Amino acid sequence: MRRCQALLGTFVEISTDQDDSQAINEAFSAIKQVQDLMSFHDPSSELNVINQTVHLEPVAIHSWTAKVLKIAQEIYEQSNGLFNCGIGHRLVAAGLLPCHMDLSIYQMSGIEDIRFIDPQIIISSKPLCLDLGGIAKGFAVDKAVESLISCGIESACVNAGGDLRVFGPIPRSIQIRNPSRPTELINIGSLQNGAIATSSLYFSKRDQLQSHIIDPFAQDESEVHLHFSDSYSIVAKECVYADALTKVLALSQATDHPCFNYFSAQAIKITT
Amino acid sequence: MMSTPIIAQAKIYMSIEQAQKIFFPSQSLTKSPIIISDELQEKMRLASSIRHPFRGDRIWKTSDGNWLIIDEVIGKHEMITYAVALNSNGSILGIEILEYIESYGYEVAEVDWRKQFVGKTAKDPIKLNQDIQNIGGATLSCKHITDGVKRVTSLHDLSLKTIR
Repeated sequence: MRRCQALLGTFVEISTDQDDSQAINEAFSAIKQVQDLMSFHDPSSELNVINQTVHLEPVAIHSWTAKVLKIAQEIYEQSNGLFNCGIGHRLVAAGLLPCHMDLSIYQMSGIEDIRFIDPQIIISSKPLCLDLGGIAKGFAVDKAVESLISCGIESACVNAGGDLRVFGPIPRSIQIRNPSRPTELINIGSLQNGAIATSSLYFSKRDQLQSHIIDPFAQDESEVHLHFSDSYSIVAKECVYADALTKVLALSQATDHPCFNYFSAQAIKITT
Repeated sequence: MMSTPIIAQAKIYMSIEQAQKIFFPSQSLTKSPIIISDELQEKMRLASSIRHPFRGDRIWKTSDGNWLIIDEVIGKHEMITYAVALNSNGSILGIEILEYIESYGYEVAEVDWRKQFVGKTAKDPIKLNQDIQNIGGATLSCKHITDGVKRVTSLHDLSLKTIR
């Protein structure tokens, strides 16, 4: 059974060998819950509450949001700041995200200023504009996989618009879009009990959108958006790490960045 | 000379009957086509910004007054058929993608190549790259579906809710 729903701003596909509609419904619900918590587009999401109030008062957050923020901070540290979710205002300025608050009055800080005063209560000393678009999709894929496993599904693939995770006894063959001609596919081998995520700009270029890969260290406005034509994929055990680490690969251009080894991940660069 | 479109993927996820079972497993559905007047078509276009005409012949009603509506969005690079289940009050019960067809080097809306898919069902998968299952890569946007769902909910607001 293979089903597809529009979630997380993309198409989420769940394929299983068992015909269990209820299990797939629950997996989609888990993804929907991640969307409801962490969407930048939805003004009432928990993420937008954090962005609007975390510098003013402590914010109580869902355990899933707490987990994503913890992982985001861990990857921030291991990548020496290359992966930073505190770039929402850059994407708003580029017209890639909607504007829910007056960003002009603040000097925005980054994920490093989030402090946990309790496992599920955070505060920040400075204003920030977090966007979890570079990590939440992978986390949602993991949550869907957990949900399927708890429903007794033995083998499945969850693919959120190109970031995917497979589990079960059967290895599944994986194709990656060719960055030079995205409708052509490159067979990169098979994957068993693992995840792969990819960052590339061919759809952004096709749709004449500004690059959504942001250099957190950019000093000059003209250097904020990273431009490249290659495709950067990360294979990891969990999709949350695969998703986030593609940004480290795109920004560092180093397939041997020490942070990949730290997270037991492997980098794949497909050049044009 | 016209070039042949190269299709990267054409996926049929489920038939209309399967969508009916997913949304309304224990309710009977009655086909309830409605005629879409030019005026209604125009109002739906304004509500959704979708220009492709809506077809009024793929609407079902359950015994409880809920609705299942099939529609498609035709973008520059893809054509997507989807099902929307609505509560009798118009709120969305669920959305499911039925077919996803991606094209290359062609404006899908402009050409007649869709004809080759007419009559295909989920049991009869399109014989193009059908072995390809797991495609990784940059994220595709589902914005067209968001617009499409707006059009379907506007249909309920403008017409279906008045039908007894």
